[in-house]
Amino acid sequence: MKIISLVGLVVLSSAVGCSKPNPRVETRLNEDARLMGELTPNPMQGKVITSWVDKRDSTMSTLYGNDAAVNYARRNAEMKYPAGSVVSLVTWNQQEDGRWFGGKIPATPKSVEVVSVGTGYSYQRFEGSPLKRVENTEGAAPNERAAYLLSQRAAVLP
Amino acid sequence: MALASRAFLWTGAVVCLGFAVIQLIRPELKNPPVTAEIQAPEEVRQILRTSCYSCHSNETKLPWFDQIEPAYWLVTKDVKKARRHLNFSEFGKLPAAQQKGLLFEAVNQIQMGAMPLPRYLKVHPEAKVTQDQVAVLRNYLVPPSTASAAPAAAADTTAGDAQYGKWIKQSEGPLEVQKSPNGIAFLPDYKNWKTISSTDRFDGGTLREIMGNDVAVKAIADNHINPWPDGTVFAKVAWFEQPDGQGVMRTGAFYQVEYMIRDSKKYASTKGWGWARWRGTDLKPYGKDAKFTNECVSCHEPVAKNDYVYTMPIGGQQ
Repeated sequence: MKIISLVGLVVLSSAVGCSKPNPRVETRLNEDARLMGELTPNPMQGKVITSWVDKRDSTMSTLYGNDAAVNYARRNAEMKYPAGSVVSLVTWNQQEDGRWFGGKIPATPKSVEVVSVGTGYSYQRFEGSPLKRVENTEGAAPNERAAYLLSQRAAVLP
Repeated sequence: MALASRAFLWTGAVVCLGFAVIQLIRPELKNPPVTAEIQAPEEVRQILRTSCYSCHSNETKLPWFDQIEPAYWLVTKDVKKARRHLNFSEFGKLPAAQQKGLLFEAVNQIQMGAMPLPRYLKVHPEAKVTQDQVAVLRNYLVPPSTASAAPAAAADTTAGDAQYGKWIKQSEGPLEVQKSPNGIAFLPDYKNWKTISSTDRFDGGTLREIMGNDVAVKAIADNHINPWPDGTVFAKVAWFEQPDGQGVMRTGAFYQVEYMIRDSKKYASTKGWGWARWRGTDLKPYGKDAKFTNECVSCHEPVAKNDYVYTMPIGGQQ
């Protein structure tokens, strides 16, 4: 009988199971990656145009657009954005994804760049924590960096 | 008193008899031959042998207490399920990419405390993978030297370019997308949802954006994300990474879009979430039949306490 109770106990305890909560599973927001500072609007209010990862400096970037920019970029390969388009690139430093070995996720923001297309082109760059504007250029033609961002083709979203 | 003790004796006898009889009901658990054992450095294989082989190989060795019913019945079921998912004795037959994916998943399950199964560890504490052993496995899959390695060679962009060329012209017209085998219809508006995070999945060579519908975004703004409110939908989009040869990985060909749809009543049998996945630009539904959701749920099991969600949403949603 003792053996039976013992076996029963082992089976029961193993079936019920209980273990300490793993800190990796703890419910929380990724506050490191939050965009804080002088940004209006927050680029993450926009829609995705594309994204990329730069292995050289371990950063990951997502290119967002307002409706005018996104509607254009998803229908036209020429990448000549119409007036009213706003394209923003958020670049984050990377951190290991604590919940998925083999993945990296955004850590602190490294920079935010905003290109607005009107009669001319404006380029703004924000850096630091909180994000502060460090560059504001306007011209009839986009500067080199703005031209680079405006030349990125949209990711395929069927 | 005599009656009570007689009843006690009878109950004891019935229990003993029952215990003896169930010993005769023995599902078969064979050790098939080892045909293609995993190739890995000895220190890695040593860890796998000690902590994983009992269930994930054809070299199952059961201690005496696992051979007694009903433990034996449970163990047999676990071993068969474990071998179907990952069998280190037949591992070498799998394509290299699948081998890599399974090893990353294994390390992830270990780190998350999901493997070895906590109930297995209770009776087999020797199978516990120590922090040092986790480090050995991690370093095997991602050697510390890779950070300074030369950039990946520029990818052949032909397939990605062709896919983009068709998509941008919408030359194929609107797609008739089939439902997922569990009855979930494709949600084409995912591309207009806000992003809640992104992932660089270097294990499998994809880049991902995770989108959330308005309910999801509001839940993040309110920080009510466990449980997520009914009506929450996530779409995770994956593209193959396309290295440019200079160290930048761009989004190449579209690979898949996966959904998690929250409805705690409708999807009660699959942990309160509707799961669906469509692959390729022709958006072919994933799964032979509705049982494909077992894969989804078992892969998300390590984050059960986080409402089965892996993604950690970026704060500051409005």
